[in-house]
Amino acid sequence: MHPLRHPRNAAMVGIIFIIIGAIYWIAPSIQGTVNSDDIAAGTTLLVFLGVAMALMAYVLVAGSTDE
Amino acid sequence: MATTTLTPAASRSMSSLYAWLTTTDHKKIGILYIANSFLFFFIGGLLALGVRTELAQPGLQFVTPATYNELFTMHATFMIFLFVIPMLAGFGNYVVPLQIGAPDMAFPRINALSFWMLPLGGILLLLSFVTGGSAAAGWTSYAPLSEDRALAATGPGQDLWIVALVLIGTSSILGAINFLVTMFKMRAPGMTLFRMPIMVWTVLVTSVLVLMATPVITSALIMLFIDRNYGGAFFDPSRGGDAILYQNIFWFYSHPAVYVMILPAMGMVSEILPVFSRKPLFGYKAFIFATAAIGALGFSVWAHHMFTTGAVYLPFFSIMTFLIAVPTGVKMFNWVFTMWRGQLMLKTPLLFAIGFLTMFLIGGINGAFSASVPVDFALHDTYWVVAHLHYVLFGGSVFGVMGGFYYWFPKMTGRMMNETVGKAQFVLMFIGFNMTFFPMHELGLAGMPRRIADYSSTAGWNQLNLVATIGGFTIAASMVLFLWNVFMSLRSGQVAGDDPWEGNTLEWATTSPPPAYNFDHLPEIRSERPVFDARWGRVAEH
Amino acid sequence: MSVTAHDDLPVEHNPLASMPHDTHGGISNPVLGMLLFITSEVMFFGGLFAAYFNIRANAAQWPPINPETSEPFHLQVLPVVTTNGVTSYSFVLIATILLITSSFTCQYAIWKIRSDDRTRFIRAMAVTIILGIVFLLMQLTDYAILGNEGLTLSSGTFGTTFYTLTGFHGAHVFGGVIMLSVVLYRGMLGQFSGKHYDAVEGASLYWHFVDVVWILLFALLYLLPGKTPAA
Repeated sequence: MHPLRHPRNAAMVGIIFIIIGAIYWIAPSIQGTVNSDDIAAGTTLLVFLGVAMALMAYVLVAGSTDE
Repeated sequence: MATTTLTPAASRSMSSLYAWLTTTDHKKIGILYIANSFLFFFIGGLLALGVRTELAQPGLQFVTPATYNELFTMHATFMIFLFVIPMLAGFGNYVVPLQIGAPDMAFPRINALSFWMLPLGGILLLLSFVTGGSAAAGWTSYAPLSEDRALAATGPGQDLWIVALVLIGTSSILGAINFLVTMFKMRAPGMTLFRMPIMVWTVLVTSVLVLMATPVITSALIMLFIDRNYGGAFFDPSRGGDAILYQNIFWFYSHPAVYVMILPAMGMVSEILPVFSRKPLFGYKAFIFATAAIGALGFSVWAHHMFTTGAVYLPFFSIMTFLIAVPTGVKMFNWVFTMWRGQLMLKTPLLFAIGFLTMFLIGGINGAFSASVPVDFALHDTYWVVAHLHYVLFGGSVFGVMGGFYYWFPKMTGRMMNETVGKAQFVLMFIGFNMTFFPMHELGLAGMPRRIADYSSTAGWNQLNLVATIGGFTIAASMVLFLWNVFMSLRSGQVAGDDPWEGNTLEWATTSPPPAYNFDHLPEIRSERPVFDARWGRVAEH
Repeated sequence: MSVTAHDDLPVEHNPLASMPHDTHGGISNPVLGMLLFITSEVMFFGGLFAAYFNIRANAAQWPPINPETSEPFHLQVLPVVTTNGVTSYSFVLIATILLITSSFTCQYAIWKIRSDDRTRFIRAMAVTIILGIVFLLMQLTDYAILGNEGLTLSSGTFGTTFYTLTGFHGAHVFGGVIMLSVVLYRGMLGQFSGKHYDAVEGASLYWHFVDVVWILLFALLYLLPGKTPAA
């Protein structure tokens, strides 16, 4: 039995990384620390990772063999 | 799936050199991966002996500082990219299709291509030694040092290094795609995702990490290449670039890479412990979720390698790093409870698995210290970090690989390895390993920096360095024992039979070695232990 | 064959329903492999975009000042612009329109081969390839124009990021053109049918990906407003 019946649910895994990216982007300003110059690189990579993970999870679940 | 019959002439060429060079059989390719990886383990090991020989006593006795930089750079490069990662891919290649009841990987020709890119990458790296000096800016190759042609590498060594790594990275990515399609599309009937062995699950998560992270280091290396050769300004602060940018992009790959280097070894340990404890794996589903959690969290901690740059949002990375200890602890707990009240068969695979548990535990603990920002501020770039990385990568990955090798050697070759020599090798390796790397905790705490060719004779580091060097040569001796065991067993080891260890998983349901098509007949699959079920006529259905 | 892996999903809601399938359901192996390869390419461009965003965020003035003209570097979007009697050209807008069109012709080719209309499939595939080649030629022309204005790979961060990002995109377009050409060639040999077109599907997925990346790049590099330090 496939643990996830709907591929759309599998794509939710990408949301995790986008949320982590959002926290990473916003948290320094909330905390009031000096803005680290290099936040942009990490945020970009985390957001792209979220997109890529969602795509991967979707095609793996949707494309799996019938059980 | 169409069946083919082999022509009578086929058997003649099957075991020849030509057959090995042109094979697309995942089992042969797996063995090629493993053999190639051991070759580079020895090369990387020789480079390490070079490092240790120089450091045994204060004063520069054997090499110049420039050569020393090449030694530690290439030691790490060979070990990471041509030993650990491909070794685990090789075991995955051999074991995964068998354990899911498939006849081969999804893309056999791409599988072969993935392998052959490795010796090619290795040759490029070896060539760099004789073309004016290899890369010498550390395996991390930070800008601006790695962009400074006068210092980092006077010849094309650094560029060869970049090209080789891009090639090897591409090999990894293709392999990851192969593994994922195989695992999702080619499982035998009844083999649901939650009946796959833990080894397969760890290779699955590893493949996701490789797929997602490796392209990022490819981009970093390409940007470095453009800076070095085409007047690029990515990492050049004097022209608007940013050297720390390189570190961010580099570590976004290189941190998940360490999980690539450990997860399949954890998978191997998870295969060995149930068989040699005669008990089912404790907490099968928890293992899977813990592995997935480690993989996911592994993407959010990269800048803990950069705490001291002053350009990092410290609380985020420190918290995330501590969080990873949780799923790792779950796994530790589960492994121990697999063994608890089991009937332990104290054979070499189990010894190495126990070695893994104890040594990786130490590596995890000293890593947890480093996750604390103030501690890391003191210990960054000291020998403490060298201790940590070797406890997890050698105490963890290498011990796991050794266990896996002794465990699956009978399946791959049809012969058993010598138990006595195996036990002796384990003891010698365990002693040598701890002698080499345990003193480095103290050296780091005493302030000895990494990547230095020489040190002051009054710093108080002399004795520990000497002990570490003796330990290094002890490890080398243990590897000589290992090689002797391998060659002896190949020639005259005891015949293994299908299932010498009374295993649980599908690879033990076929001959040793398996036929080219893997299985004549598959047992019914109703749990994660189909061979166990078949042997005892039980059906643990879930 | 339109059997999907999950029969509980109505076919019309499942975007993968019409993709090549195996007898056991699920997407065919080569197509799944191509989709996974595309995810790895997303991460590769992610690394390059990360560098771009980072450099841009750290710069007070973006685009930076061109030392030759003492004006900020400028990427012209409109095809023909005349300032002070000087006319300058830029092919990027036309090229973008052509590339987007090529995605449509590519998808048309897929629809045609799915219904076993091999003639129209081949024609549409050929048009797609031509559009792709024209895109590349226009990019090269733009490179020459910009090079004359003083923007090269070694023109500081702006030149480096611009040429690296668009250059690697162009390399991917080139790879896509090769892939589509192989598909066209095999199609002309009659190797594809309404039931057997995995390679066409795979190549067209890659081509759409390349198009999406370009739209993102075009928006970022050409359309996103620059920034100047507060006076």
